[in-house]
Amino acid sequence: MNTAARPSTPLIPELDTPLPRVTDPTGLLKWIGSVDHKQIGIMYMVTSFVFFLFGGVEALLMRLQLSQPRFSFLTPQDYDQIFTMHGTTMIFLVIMPMLIGFAIYFVPLMIGANDIAFPRFNALSYWLFLFGGLLLYYSFIGGGAPDAGWFAYAPLSSEFNFTANAGMNYWGVSLAATGIGTIGSAVNLMVTIWTLRAPGMTLRRLPLFVWMVMLNNVLILAALPALNSTFVMVLFDRLLHANFFHVPSGGQPLLYQHSFWSFGHPEVYIMILPAWGMISEVIPVFARRPIFGYNFVAGATVAILLLSLLVWGHHMFTAGMGQTLDIAFGISSMMIAVPTGIKVFNWTYTTWKASIHFTTSMLFALAFLLQFTIGGVTGVMFASFPVDWQMEDSYFVIAHLHYVLMGGSAFALWAGIYYWFPKITGRMMDERLGRWNFALAFIGFNVAFMPQHFLGMIGMARRIYTYPDLPYWHLLNLISSIGAAVLAIAVLVFIWNLIYSYLHGRVAGDNPWDAFTLEWATASPPAVHSFEQVPPVRSRRPIWDLNHPDRADWKNPEAVRGI
Amino acid sequence: MFSHSVLNPMSPQGQAISNLFIFLMIAAGALFAGLPLTLAYTLPKYRHRPGQGDPPQTYGVLKMELVWTTIPILLLIGVFGATISTMRIAQPNAIKTVDLTVIGHQWWWEYRYPNGVVAANILHIPTGRRLNVALKSADVIHSFWVPELNGKMDAVPGQTNSLWLEADKPGIYEGACVEFCGTGHAWMRLSVVAQPPAQFDAWLRQQARPARQPSTAMQKAGARLFAQYACASCHLLRGRPSNTHLGSKAVVIAPDLTHFASRPFFGGGVLDNTPANLVTWLHDPNLVKQGVHMPNFQLTPSQIHELTAYLESLT
Amino acid sequence: MSDKHVMGMSLFVASEFVFFAVLILAFVFYRQSPANIGGPTAFNSLDVPTTGFYTACLTASSVTFWLAERSHRRNRTGQWHALLLVTILLGGAFIYGEGREFADMSGQGIVPSTNLFGTTFYALVGFHGFHVAMGLIVLLTVFGISLRSRFFRGAAHARAIRTIAIYWIFVDAMWWIIFPTVYLWSLGNHGILGEPFKAVPFR
Repeated sequence: MNTAARPSTPLIPELDTPLPRVTDPTGLLKWIGSVDHKQIGIMYMVTSFVFFLFGGVEALLMRLQLSQPRFSFLTPQDYDQIFTMHGTTMIFLVIMPMLIGFAIYFVPLMIGANDIAFPRFNALSYWLFLFGGLLLYYSFIGGGAPDAGWFAYAPLSSEFNFTANAGMNYWGVSLAATGIGTIGSAVNLMVTIWTLRAPGMTLRRLPLFVWMVMLNNVLILAALPALNSTFVMVLFDRLLHANFFHVPSGGQPLLYQHSFWSFGHPEVYIMILPAWGMISEVIPVFARRPIFGYNFVAGATVAILLLSLLVWGHHMFTAGMGQTLDIAFGISSMMIAVPTGIKVFNWTYTTWKASIHFTTSMLFALAFLLQFTIGGVTGVMFASFPVDWQMEDSYFVIAHLHYVLMGGSAFALWAGIYYWFPKITGRMMDERLGRWNFALAFIGFNVAFMPQHFLGMIGMARRIYTYPDLPYWHLLNLISSIGAAVLAIAVLVFIWNLIYSYLHGRVAGDNPWDAFTLEWATASPPAVHSFEQVPPVRSRRPIWDLNHPDRADWKNPEAVRGI
Repeated sequence: MFSHSVLNPMSPQGQAISNLFIFLMIAAGALFAGLPLTLAYTLPKYRHRPGQGDPPQTYGVLKMELVWTTIPILLLIGVFGATISTMRIAQPNAIKTVDLTVIGHQWWWEYRYPNGVVAANILHIPTGRRLNVALKSADVIHSFWVPELNGKMDAVPGQTNSLWLEADKPGIYEGACVEFCGTGHAWMRLSVVAQPPAQFDAWLRQQARPARQPSTAMQKAGARLFAQYACASCHLLRGRPSNTHLGSKAVVIAPDLTHFASRPFFGGGVLDNTPANLVTWLHDPNLVKQGVHMPNFQLTPSQIHELTAYLESLT
Repeated sequence: MSDKHVMGMSLFVASEFVFFAVLILAFVFYRQSPANIGGPTAFNSLDVPTTGFYTACLTASSVTFWLAERSHRRNRTGQWHALLLVTILLGGAFIYGEGREFADMSGQGIVPSTNLFGTTFYALVGFHGFHVAMGLIVLLTVFGISLRSRFFRGAAHARAIRTIAIYWIFVDAMWWIIFPTVYLWSLGNHGILGEPFKAVPFR
């Protein structure tokens, strides 16, 4: 153990109220009744991954349907439900809970705490997530899945006779449940970060993953309630025949859009901030040096947080808001490119004068850099709203959003999983399988989504179940579908790697990567009581300091001065 | 690949946006290119070699932070300027006169000209003239997009949006509804047919005429069926007596069929306008375009042929 | 450490402000719609004095709960129970008053589906009432537990009481935003910039 020779350090204070102890449950019961943040973190990760497979199957069905013009594998009613469920699943049941799961598992460890602030509330948040997800999927057999798209514009979504089934009712109720769980997690993580940090862990010494989670919590608290209000309005209209968006009574569809996107834009940042945090952990460890410009990475994220609350109208440039609002939202959307760029430059320059180990985790992180930046660049193009007038609602948007959410968040999650799997399970993931996973994912992803930029430029709309045989539409769609199939194989390789490594992986030890932050001071997997003693925190990289005492950060004036 | 795309515009508005798009792609591409170039340098040069220890631990360079904060800001100021000038060319702030009203329905496009002509799905415009288009919707949000001519604009129920539509040269420009509007969204396509002004005027005059009288026996039988099945309760046929009392203020449900035979396609693009295709449609519209609001009238084959003969006579 | 409960509840309450903000904005936005003319509006359908009375009850309940919390901290169990009971009765009066108002209005045919006013009124005031009701259930639970056990007695669990206080004061503060917006503003039958409405009486 690393802590043996260190002087004694204050123990983390115990929780005030002892947790109720069921008499030593075993097996599944232990998991169901768990209030341990590590177990709940794992439950989030596993559940999200299962939903990822559902969402992936939905995507493959869509790509199969679109692989040929005028194909009739799926009816439009089927297709509309599938594309709605694909988006809803991936956003609310995969990316958000997966990132939250990692936060719940690792934030307490990274700040030297033995548990999260409100353990039972943490469990409640997980079960609300599971309940919401199950209710949403029940809709397939309970009257029909939602079919108005994941952002469900009114009045299509709010008037019973405009949608084909009762699915939007399920949409509103299930997502309200998961949303309340998410708000709970944000409260929990925020209080944890503020009150349970180890002595010496000032805010300026927080690992960047914790910084990003902390800022993410603010976004969640600001955005998710607006989504809940939107659900209230839609469900009122659908179930009580109210008039929020009932045009004959004076209802205005644009109110829905403003209300929804006030949630929806911060939401996309909610889906990327923790991913940025993972990248900020992975790249320095495998480059064997501190991150370039820590203060600027953290500070830029604060700027992004503030700006992200001011850009929602860029989803409405074609809705007829008027030139003044178009210009205002265009300016704010362009501005948000600056701090995002700052971060990308800092991550890239962390490879400068480094000593780079090309582990699978690092490969995914490097691919993230390239792919997320491509997505970011097309995003800035949209901010120049006349371009948005052409490209909005076409496959160019679909390409953009997948480059940032899949090429970005999903690849960052892959990097994080390969990095932290040894800590969670005590075993290393297989590097050979990992490289296959990476190669297939990288090729599959880019083959699937790069052609979609061109499909958008030549006029293909989004959310269409089929298309006429126009020049190059078939070819580009077919290439995209092949890419999707390759991606699916990548996921299968990944699943195989998870299972194989869990059963037969090389024993990891506490800190197989010689990484820098406090979670690597615990056992792998951590004991129920993660820390008996917390190592002293005198810099941003307490475990680097511990393992490399002659090159410790706190002895280096440049680090102490800080940048 | 881009011969019919946003990058091959056929109008001043489309040209302005295309120029902006290309400018942005070059600027963004240049900025982005720095990333793989940097990595192409650093990744091989600084890869870990066996036996090599950890490198010097440095924490950042303030000057570089300032450089890569300032340069993007300057670039974005340029982008903003280009954005505003393109905006002025491409979109009106508010239109005072209306040259054309476009109304989106589930799942077809209605066009109303100032002289009273009502058309569906295929929009004729004169070349060389910038038209002020008022955009409305009869039900849910739709979006009108002809990539070669201009950016899109949503048709939002309860409000009127505006758009400029102009074509430099005669031609046929494909478009579609691009805001998901329900089951038939994929087949809410449209065509803009730009004609030299003289030909356009001729077309408009032709369209203003009332529906042609049926001449052959088949056509007459079809006309009788049209009245018998009350098709006019949804589909207006201008100039024909109808057995419903609609009047001009009636709620429009389905495309005006007065000059149906003059259209190259129907059903929002799902079928080309041929007698054989019309027979297929009339046999069961929902089989052709799932979700369509037109019911299946359970017509017999001979009724279908008579109706087809009549409708295809309505040039 | 004792701060974490206060911090947690404060963060949750802050997020609920955002929830209500959207519904308030919808109410304000639709308030001036010409579609309301000829139908029920805030001006012609609300009984401000009666609601004002029940508002006073809710406000008083915040005061009594604050006093109750103080008694609890000072280990004055009798006072603590008495003041908690008064708080519950005052909160219950508010709920009762609102329930009666909803019943009266729907008896006159004003329901969420009636027009924009009906929709936005019931959504906003209704969800606020729901939040009050949830708080009332918590207060009743605390009261019951405190009477029958050692919990919530004798300065123990003062933090929990403080946390509940934050919530209860939040619903009251929320009402002091909603009440002027919906009720007091309706007294003059004016729009946002003071322009007079053209609405005609509904009854």
